[in-house]
Amino acid sequence: MSCPFELLGLTRRPLLSEEELGSAYRKMAGNLHPDQEGGDEGRFKELGEAAAILRDSARRLRFLSGVRPGSIPPPEAADLFPRVASLTHEADDLLARHATASNPLAKAVLAAPLRKLSADLDLLLMTIGQWQARLNERLGILDAGWPDHDPEVVSDLADSLSYATRWESQLRERKLALECL
Amino acid sequence: MIAGIDLGTTNSLIGVYESGFPTLLADPDGNRLTPSVVHYAADGTILIGREACRMEALHPGSTVSSVKRSMGRRFGDEGTEGIEGPKGKPVTLRINGQDLTPEKVSSEILKRLKTIAEERVGTPVTRAVITVPAYFNDAQRAATKRAGELAGFTVERILAEPTAAALAYGLEKLKDRSTVAVYDLGGGTFDLSILRLDEGVFEVLSTHGDTQLGGDDLDEAIAGLIAGKAALGDLPPESRIRLREAAREAKELLSTEESLTVRLPFLEGSEGSTSLEIPLDRKEVEAVCEPIIRRTRSHCRRSLEDAGVKADDLDQVILVGGSTRMPLVQRVVSEVFGKEPDLSQHPDEAVAVGAVLQGAILEGTLRNVALLDVTPLSLGIETFGGLMNVIIPRNTTIPTKAGEMFTNAVAGQSGMTITVLQGEREMASDNWKLGSFEIPFPPSAKGAARVGVQFSLDADGILQVLARDTAAGTEKIVEIKSAVEVSDEAVEAMLAGSLEHAFEDMDARIFTEARLKAEEMLPAVESALGQLAGELPEGEISAIRTGAAEVTAAMQAGETARLNKALETLDQATQTLATKLLEKAMR
Repeated sequence: MSCPFELLGLTRRPLLSEEELGSAYRKMAGNLHPDQEGGDEGRFKELGEAAAILRDSARRLRFLSGVRPGSIPPPEAADLFPRVASLTHEADDLLARHATASNPLAKAVLAAPLRKLSADLDLLLMTIGQWQARLNERLGILDAGWPDHDPEVVSDLADSLSYATRWESQLRERKLALECL
Repeated sequence: MIAGIDLGTTNSLIGVYESGFPTLLADPDGNRLTPSVVHYAADGTILIGREACRMEALHPGSTVSSVKRSMGRRFGDEGTEGIEGPKGKPVTLRINGQDLTPEKVSSEILKRLKTIAEERVGTPVTRAVITVPAYFNDAQRAATKRAGELAGFTVERILAEPTAAALAYGLEKLKDRSTVAVYDLGGGTFDLSILRLDEGVFEVLSTHGDTQLGGDDLDEAIAGLIAGKAALGDLPPESRIRLREAAREAKELLSTEESLTVRLPFLEGSEGSTSLEIPLDRKEVEAVCEPIIRRTRSHCRRSLEDAGVKADDLDQVILVGGSTRMPLVQRVVSEVFGKEPDLSQHPDEAVAVGAVLQGAILEGTLRNVALLDVTPLSLGIETFGGLMNVIIPRNTTIPTKAGEMFTNAVAGQSGMTITVLQGEREMASDNWKLGSFEIPFPPSAKGAARVGVQFSLDADGILQVLARDTAAGTEKIVEIKSAVEVSDEAVEAMLAGSLEHAFEDMDARIFTEARLKAEEMLPAVESALGQLAGELPEGEISAIRTGAAEVTAAMQAGETARLNKALETLDQATQTLATKLLEKAMR
């Protein structure tokens, strides 16, 4: 497929704001949508794929430097993984028990563990948030020096961003489920 | 000319784009709203709308209302409560000895709308945009499209209702850039969509909803309240319908009045006929409706989360759908979003106006306006281990395509079954199964066969799946027309399974249920007493202990009735304990 940056009329750089991407996408999508005169379904779908790659900072970086996802997680991700995995399991288990609890006492017994879970989720989300902030800082440094870069550094950064984004959304989903009980 | 149609749970509307303006069309009596009710008379005549409503209380068995709730559904799904049929089979309604599909019934409503439009416009109206709840899945959208075709329309677009409403709202603000939420609570469905308006482009960022939550549920709750106050027992269907009508009327009046009296003369009950006069005030009606309205809250939060938008970033929260007239709904909305909602749109008409505008966009008469809608639910396939592998994530702009390559997991395998799923759950079995098909390939070593699967979603949100054996170059295109049509054998297998279970000893099953409850209850009691022993009076603790001992004894004796009674007593005895425990957790 053609270059997603080119398709959207954007400069090839690691940093791209949501605002800049959204506004470029809307302008082009508004013209290419098959409902419009001169619209083109095939090109519209291509535009959508391009925007999806650019919206995801890991995929964007991998496209820019041609690196593939690594087979070994970066050290920080490897350290965090056990905490993320055990907390999501614990959350799923508690939420499932709460959903099937059929009387007030059984639900009440779960109140305290659910509260603790909520606090644990907040804590881990904060840790991941700090990690993301460090990653974004690295992204900024990479962008400032662009196009000079070390593919290994880019690969590590892309993998880290990918883990961080996925875990953040998995944890936030549980947090939201808890808040909506 | 392309007509715009809002095919609602309670009411339906049709309109056209005339000399630069969207116009909703009225029937000869001057009504723009046509009740979505169809009556099948014994002589074969079909009545629609108001005439059908009049027949409902007299002939509930041959009158269909809220048919939208069973569109694209199978027996046993949510939304099909009260409709009898073999679990897993596509829903049909038995009317005067005939089995009718929901799309057939809907097509009668659409035919009436078509007539209304043709009489007003003076020419045949054969093309239409029909709206559906944003959260309708593939099967429900496909069923709606079929209903349109059965009524003689070429369905040019299936359009999401909140998106349509946003179009109606934004048409006069085409120069603006803003972010809005549309809160659409109709007769049977709820949607919350977040859109970005940017110089004529309407981009849906996210949508969430519940296709089984709406004004009907409020009517049910209020009917229950009235029945409770009047101590009504079991009612025959005719009386239930009269009660529900009275409940709906009370709900509507209480949006403006503080209190009223519900009058139901000569209501047939189990013990003869009674005449009811029940006073009702807004407070008590709100009390029974509030838990239902509260259910919209989580969808609002999830939609914001998916859009990556904070409530503070929203420029407007637009209310549409008849149920948003309730002051309670407006209160809940302002609480969730932290701002007063925008009431500028006509709650019953905004969606139909939007459908008309979309028709004008498709015709090319309305220029410089584009709608970018999304698919509300993730689409994927079942992978090894029974997991759902997402191919198109929810909230992806449509039309779209995406694909993935799969290889065989076992050596010597000579084919792959592709099961197409829609939904958000991790386990494949928890999602809606759209269909499955087989891709044969020559027996090959593990990982040697390669099958490319491509999903393509059109602008209606309807899916087409293409699978290609890249080694042999064979391919198979499957249009998932309707979930309910695809897998008959699977349905048969499910049926066979459930029949076997039906012959199990009923009493054994009831005892098992009670035992499971006891096994949940006893550890809960222990845990709660352990935490709060010092904070309860001696007498209460000993009552709980006695209750728990009786549950254990009844369980060991295997006596169902005794166990159920003991559980009930223990439930009562632990009420204070549960409250105390909750208070402690909140401290």
